[in-house]
Amino acid sequence: MEQIVVPHMKDAIGADILFEGTKSSVNLEKMSSNKDAPYLSVVQMDDPVMIQAVEADLLTPITSGPVPNMSDLRPDAVHMDGMWCNYVQPWAGVAYNTDFKSGGVASWEDLWAPEAKGQLIIPSLQNTEGMWTLFMSAMLGSGKPFSEAQYEIDAAFEKLEELKPNLLSVYTTMSQAFNLLEQGEITMLAGNFSSYTLPRKATGVPVDLAAPSEGIFAMPSGICLVKGGPNAELAEAYVNEMLGPDMQAAIADFATSVPANTTVSAGAIIPDGVPIYAPDWAFVAANRRAWIERFDKLMAI
Amino acid sequence: MTGRAERIGLLALPGLSFLAVIYALPLFMLLLKSVQIDGQFSFAEYVAFFSDSYNLSVLWRTVRVALLTTGLALIIAYPTAIVMARAKGFWLSVFLVAMVLPMSVGVVVKAFAWTILFRTRGVLNDTLMSLGITDAPIRMLFTETALIIGAANVFLPFMVLPIYAVLRQMDSRLPEAAASLGATPVFRFMNVTLPLSLPGVVAGCAFTFSLAISMYVIPSLIVGERQQTLSMLTARSFLYLRNEALGATISSILLLIAISVVLTSSWAANRLGARQ
Repeated sequence: MEQIVVPHMKDAIGADILFEGTKSSVNLEKMSSNKDAPYLSVVQMDDPVMIQAVEADLLTPITSGPVPNMSDLRPDAVHMDGMWCNYVQPWAGVAYNTDFKSGGVASWEDLWAPEAKGQLIIPSLQNTEGMWTLFMSAMLGSGKPFSEAQYEIDAAFEKLEELKPNLLSVYTTMSQAFNLLEQGEITMLAGNFSSYTLPRKATGVPVDLAAPSEGIFAMPSGICLVKGGPNAELAEAYVNEMLGPDMQAAIADFATSVPANTTVSAGAIIPDGVPIYAPDWAFVAANRRAWIERFDKLMAI
Repeated sequence: MTGRAERIGLLALPGLSFLAVIYALPLFMLLLKSVQIDGQFSFAEYVAFFSDSYNLSVLWRTVRVALLTTGLALIIAYPTAIVMARAKGFWLSVFLVAMVLPMSVGVVVKAFAWTILFRTRGVLNDTLMSLGITDAPIRMLFTETALIIGAANVFLPFMVLPIYAVLRQMDSRLPEAAASLGATPVFRFMNVTLPLSLPGVVAGCAFTFSLAISMYVIPSLIVGERQQTLSMLTARSFLYLRNEALGATISSILLLIAISVVLTSSWAANRLGARQ
């Protein structure tokens, strides 16, 4: 995405971007450690980490005055009175190797199937996409619809324990796990998303992203302004451009994602006939630390 | 100390200042965080850490992997160092380059290369099956064995070079003198070469153990989150649990183990050096 954003920002607002790419949690740590003298102006990270950033008083709201493109966003793309916005929305399902699992993944229950023994990698709960396996375990374990099941965490962990025979590993570095999927070392990678799998598929790699019948998930990609960050006006101009039609179309196409700007028709199409879920991120943010500890102990060999 | 010696001692000042600011000070602050809860002095985090059986299993795995990595590296390094100590000219250069060059390749690249080697349909499994040693592929990826082999590979130069440096200094006439008195090759090695090389062995083991016990990227890539080590727990505490006291506690435990090993090995090296 860097190759799209950097030249556009130079032309549109005359900004030179100093890109410091890393995980959302590392971004949060950088912001938190430099709270008294912030050196970041804009940060792009996942929704549950945004909530932690708001709680730590690290963000300043995005407003439609200096960021007019904000008015064209879907209402559900603006969070906590503009503390952050979603700029795109990839969808997440189960990535699979088409050479070794040609029939695809019809149901999330396929992850638990005996023939999948040693053939599966799931994300750690340290990664946001790790939540999808947890929530789907909650749905399958409790038998309740997603809106209720997402709070049935004990049922989720009980169901997750049954997944252990099929697990080759649990990852925090997604590129390595995806590499193993491409090589055919595993047949399924749970919780992967359209912005990663589909561009790889387009290059001819034998992978695809399944939208199992129980449902898929909306990946949260947020953008925010750092409170007291340098070049405040330029930072707002950057956010405005990111939410504008040109960048929205370019990013949505590049990242095979659903644009947040309602005036744009580009990028990914959400698969038909499959429900798409967005969880209660506040509940996730409040409980995630305890879930990570519980998950690590449960999955340990 | 004479005036000249004092002036020479000043040469250590840049190094000592650098270590004091970049190493000792932050570590002291880290240690302080591990014994402070809400501004009060407390060992509660240490008690909580050692009361959790999961943490103890991670601690044992970390020490076990570091010991086995050190052992494997020593087994491979010692014969290599003997050959290097006897090599001259072109061949010595070849050995030294062979030792140093792999260090320029990042661990991430190496980890991906090992994946190709260790995978079910990888070179190693194919070879074992074609030789009839195994009937079906063995799972090698994400095992502790793979981690120890990978770590020993990365840290090998830190074991070879200290042993090589000591063996290179050894008077080659000593084993010859023992031979002239009728000592067998095994007797000469056990009673002449090995005792004289022990300071190098101790230094190599200290280097390798310290690096192996604190490694983070290698276990993250080779065994993943299901077999955590203390370093992985430290990162998790700071970055994901956002529990600085816990992170500082685990870091301090790790540091304590490493310091104990370095001090013990330093003492052992001095004793062995004095005996010779």
